Amino acid sequence: MKKDYTVVGKNIRKLDAIEKAMGAATFTTDIKLPGMLYGKVLRSPYPHARIVKIDTSKAEALPGVKAVATYLNTPRVKFNTSATSTFTIPPLQPVEDQYVFDSVVRYVGDEVAAVAATSKKVAEEALELIEVEYELLPTVFDPLAAMKEEAPSLHHCEAGKNVPGEKIHIEMGDIELGFAEADYVFEHTFKLPVQKQAQMETQAAVAQVSVDGKVTVWSTTQTPHPSRRILATIFGLPYSKVRVLNPPYIGGGFGVRIGLSAKAEPIALALAMLAKQPVKVVYDRKEDFIASDTRHSGYVTVKTGVKKDGTFTARKIMGILNSGAYCSWSAETPGVLGAMGLSIYYCPNQMYDGHSVYTNTTPAGAMRGFGNPQGMFAVDSQVDIIAEELGMDPMEIRRKNIMRPGLPWVLPYPCQSSGLEECMDLGAKAIVWDQRGKQNQDSDTIRRGIGMAIGTHVSNAWPFCGDYSNAYVTVQQDGSIQVASGVPDMGTGTITTLSQMAAEVMGIAFGQVGITFADTESTPFEIGSHASRTCYASGTAVVAAAQDARKQVFEYAANMLEVTPGELDIENGIIYSTLTQEKNISLGQVAMEAHLRGQQFIGVGRIIPQNAPPYLAHFAEVEVDTETGKVRVTKMVAAHDVGKAIHPLIVEGQLEGGLAMGIGYALSEEIKYDDRGRQLNNGFHKYMLPTAMDIPELEAIIVEAEDPTGPFGAKGVGETGLVATAAAIANAVYDAIGIRFFEIPLTEERVYRALKERK
Amino acid sequence: MQKKILKFKLNGELMELLVSPSDTLVDVVRDKLGLTGTKKGCGKGECGACTVIMNGQSVNSCIVPAMQAMDAEVETIEGIGTSDKMHPLQETFIDYGAIQCGFCTPGMIMSAKALLDGNLSPSRLQIKETIAGNICRCTGYVKIEQAVLAAADKLKASKDK
Amino acid sequence: MLKDYILATSIEEALVCLKTYAGQARIIAGGTDAMLDLSAKKITTSCLLDITKVKELKKIESMDGQIVIGAAVTHSEVKNSDLIRTKAPLLAEASGSVGSLQIRNTATVVGNVVNAQPAADAAVALMALGAVVEITEDAGTSYVPIEEMYLGVGKSKVDSTKQMATSIRFPALLPGQGSAFVRLAQRGALALPMLNVAVVLSLCEDKVEWVRIVMAPVAPKPLRALEAEKYLQGAVINDELIAKAAKIAVSEATPRDSALRGSAEYRKEMLEVLVRRALQQALTTAR
Repeated sequence: MKKDYTVVGKNIRKLDAIEKAMGAATFTTDIKLPGMLYGKVLRSPYPHARIVKIDTSKAEALPGVKAVATYLNTPRVKFNTSATSTFTIPPLQPVEDQYVFDSVVRYVGDEVAAVAATSKKVAEEALELIEVEYELLPTVFDPLAAMKEEAPSLHHCEAGKNVPGEKIHIEMGDIELGFAEADYVFEHTFKLPVQKQAQMETQAAVAQVSVDGKVTVWSTTQTPHPSRRILATIFGLPYSKVRVLNPPYIGGGFGVRIGLSAKAEPIALALAMLAKQPVKVVYDRKEDFIASDTRHSGYVTVKTGVKKDGTFTARKIMGILNSGAYCSWSAETPGVLGAMGLSIYYCPNQMYDGHSVYTNTTPAGAMRGFGNPQGMFAVDSQVDIIAEELGMDPMEIRRKNIMRPGLPWVLPYPCQSSGLEECMDLGAKAIVWDQRGKQNQDSDTIRRGIGMAIGTHVSNAWPFCGDYSNAYVTVQQDGSIQVASGVPDMGTGTITTLSQMAAEVMGIAFGQVGITFADTESTPFEIGSHASRTCYASGTAVVAAAQDARKQVFEYAANMLEVTPGELDIENGIIYSTLTQEKNISLGQVAMEAHLRGQQFIGVGRIIPQNAPPYLAHFAEVEVDTETGKVRVTKMVAAHDVGKAIHPLIVEGQLEGGLAMGIGYALSEEIKYDDRGRQLNNGFHKYMLPTAMDIPELEAIIVEAEDPTGPFGAKGVGETGLVATAAAIANAVYDAIGIRFFEIPLTEERVYRALKERK
Repeated sequence: MQKKILKFKLNGELMELLVSPSDTLVDVVRDKLGLTGTKKGCGKGECGACTVIMNGQSVNSCIVPAMQAMDAEVETIEGIGTSDKMHPLQETFIDYGAIQCGFCTPGMIMSAKALLDGNLSPSRLQIKETIAGNICRCTGYVKIEQAVLAAADKLKASKDK
Repeated sequence: MLKDYILATSIEEALVCLKTYAGQARIIAGGTDAMLDLSAKKITTSCLLDITKVKELKKIESMDGQIVIGAAVTHSEVKNSDLIRTKAPLLAEASGSVGSLQIRNTATVVGNVVNAQPAADAAVALMALGAVVEITEDAGTSYVPIEEMYLGVGKSKVDSTKQMATSIRFPALLPGQGSAFVRLAQRGALALPMLNVAVVLSLCEDKVEWVRIVMAPVAPKPLRALEAEKYLQGAVINDELIAKAAKIAVSEATPRDSALRGSAEYRKEMLEVLVRRALQQALTTAR
């Protein structure tokens, strides 16, 4: 039975928006506690070195300095900053390869020491007084070079030279047979750049240790519960004595703090323990660039076997990603790259091999898309190459091969819904696909082109790592409800969306819902905000909790109304019998009656999510200045199957934001290193993320192919906005100038050189 | 170091306090006066999160010497509306989905306000140029531009009344 | 170590202050670069001497065919000035392309010259306008052509601990004169130029009476393409001549490899495109 929703699907005022619009929202960087000290970090100027000697005595003697932390006075417990270390599924073991401070530094920016002082200025001054003697060690910056025998080893590795964790192998069908059946085989290698999340609030944490040893850490983490586990483990504390929370807002994330906020939390806590005073650590922008996870760069090779009619018979993908100096998410990212790259098309014979490689560069970790944009740039660039070779329209070859519900794929959960074809059709219409290839005269200096690409993603992290959620829904005595979920809201609208779902299930007005979130002390375990999972997985938990509460309410109300629970329904806070409408009572009356007799309705949601594929088709229209190589995106259309848009405006916001980041990935964003391992693009002025001047008209189209496993049919949205953007833009550039690029970003110089070479 | 007396109007209220010669305006507003609505995203004038209005113009408060605010009228996000009576920009930012993480929002709104204070019919390009110094990593800017246009319409309508 | 911050109210007061501090005070205007340089310890001074409250330095004036811009005038004020937009539109364009609006609202045009960065947009346009800087010090006032202002990258002839660049002046464009400012950058705002080119061109009937072509960053300071200028002087201009002039201009430039903003080779080739486009645009506006 399906009825119209009263709260779900509506553009309700976001719960966090008023505070944010008024400047009243609290972020970690805004926290000021009595007696709070300021922590600053000394970072390695060298890409690989052993600390031979470290003398902190002068720094300690500086008036105002309250603590200096180094590897000598902080826990020697290895950990991984990423949350994956807390839910890696056995028999796989988490890669724990770093300390709060170590005697070896492995990249420029690696932590050497930290100071807590009464002011930022004093702390900075003290850093200059720390004397460090380094013994330089051999370095390696490229992942292919780092796999060679003669390369320096950064860590002890089982799976191969400098390979963190396990090598990923995925297989379906018979790959050799598939290639044998093909009329043509295509193989191309693509190179991907380092992209930076560049979230607006830098990594930050405030740590406080109470006199009885209880720890409280406010931070920018996207995952308070897993972060608590990491901190408790490092410092040898019971989980119950560590509280991690957001304050409650986070200035963006995009994956950069799934787990710890780089090392802001353990450094703040180590200093707070030494100084016995609260300590605040806020990374400056340069630190955030050089010493906080990036997207993985690397190489992706795609080999595809295809019949003359365009049917794919075999696809093999290989991915080598640059892990940087520590593992972070580098054991999982190659898996998502491969699994998503294989799953967008149906192909009976598939194989993927991939892994990461340690180098002496800034660690790479999670960033929106998590390997998928890398893989899809390669896969969907190649699909356009194949289409052209076969004389097919790019839309047609895709239509012929796309994954459809019920078909087999490499993932351990079934594909149960897809609005992909509808996305392709609506997107093609919006961009006016028929114009493709017809827009230029031979004499044009500015050439126009249209391109498209498609993709899918996940709605939570399973099977790449563990995933589950818990939530409470507590009915208050007046019939309003309190939701408790451990998930943060980093701007993605989580608390609004979860509250909408709770209101819908409970049959009450949105305004009757209160929500507690992002606090390990007042919420049950919940993984947090990553993997496009909050609406889908945390939402499923909240729905389950609300259903549990609703069931209890109905049982109680049924007694009061002298009917059976099964015939009850609730709308606008009024519980009524669907058989005899005059039998009704308000939720508030039932809750109060129960209260007076010693009972509260407490719904508990404990769920292990399935997974569901969101789908997307991106269309780009570009202009290329053939004299300078400058590419300008003039329009982007993104049609997305989101299952069910719980809050369409929030969904559009996710898609548009993803597109903008995808445009940057395609055209201008890249962190390069000099030959001494130093980042060249370590600030907003040098790192070319888009400004308002660089973003064209964006059209987000929402398609709702509801998935039976999602709450109200919803699927993941957060990451999908940039999965296919770069491929769509590169395909549009090909349409404009007839040049295929195997490397992004498509900077003016790269495009110009290619134009020149062709002449 | 010699402390200097700085006198200026902050959100209409006269302020008088001691500052260091090396203090920037954002240090004064956030740390000394506790108005943390103004954010600090880079400390180098490269992101606009710290944008405030000084004598009618948007400035990056992280690179404006505090002393330069002497006798100036400075407006921050805290001064332009109340929860009962929000500034139209605050309303439209909320209603058009222009706010995600919210870290760029105060600076973004202040940039937009400086524009609308002098021009109630801005073009889309003028809006883009106005907020080009305000980095937003969440929204893709489109909803922000729409919100500014809508606020201009609201202001115009209330003026025409 | 910075100990004091003084808000000067007049040029005289500022000069007295410089003298009192004997090299330990430093003139600043918008301070956008100075505050950053101070905290990065690129410069040290005991006292910042702020001239933004000096009324006489905040004017844009027209005097006997000359336009005079005071040292406290911001890029935004120049960009929005009707006088500049009609009589030196390339400068309005150049000032309008600096950084972001917030930067333009505080950074000054004269500061753009005194900072002596090789690709400062306004300075490039000002050189094409044949601007002259007024330098005031205890001993008196002198006038220095902008081309002589540069002693090296980031090093100006004006010693801001002893002297003050009080204004910059240049002849207003006349009918028959055209100008252009073009720029290649990696994004639409908040980006230093990979290249910028300014052209001012004076036509006498169909012939080029004179032309100034300024290119940056292709040398330690904005560079006049003197050979290209010579090549065009007196010629009846057409597309072919413009193309040749652009090639000559390139041969005069020595751009460097920048890991951030393009290889030398790319910049050289783009320079030709930009000079050509600037000349064409200047010609169109001159006609």
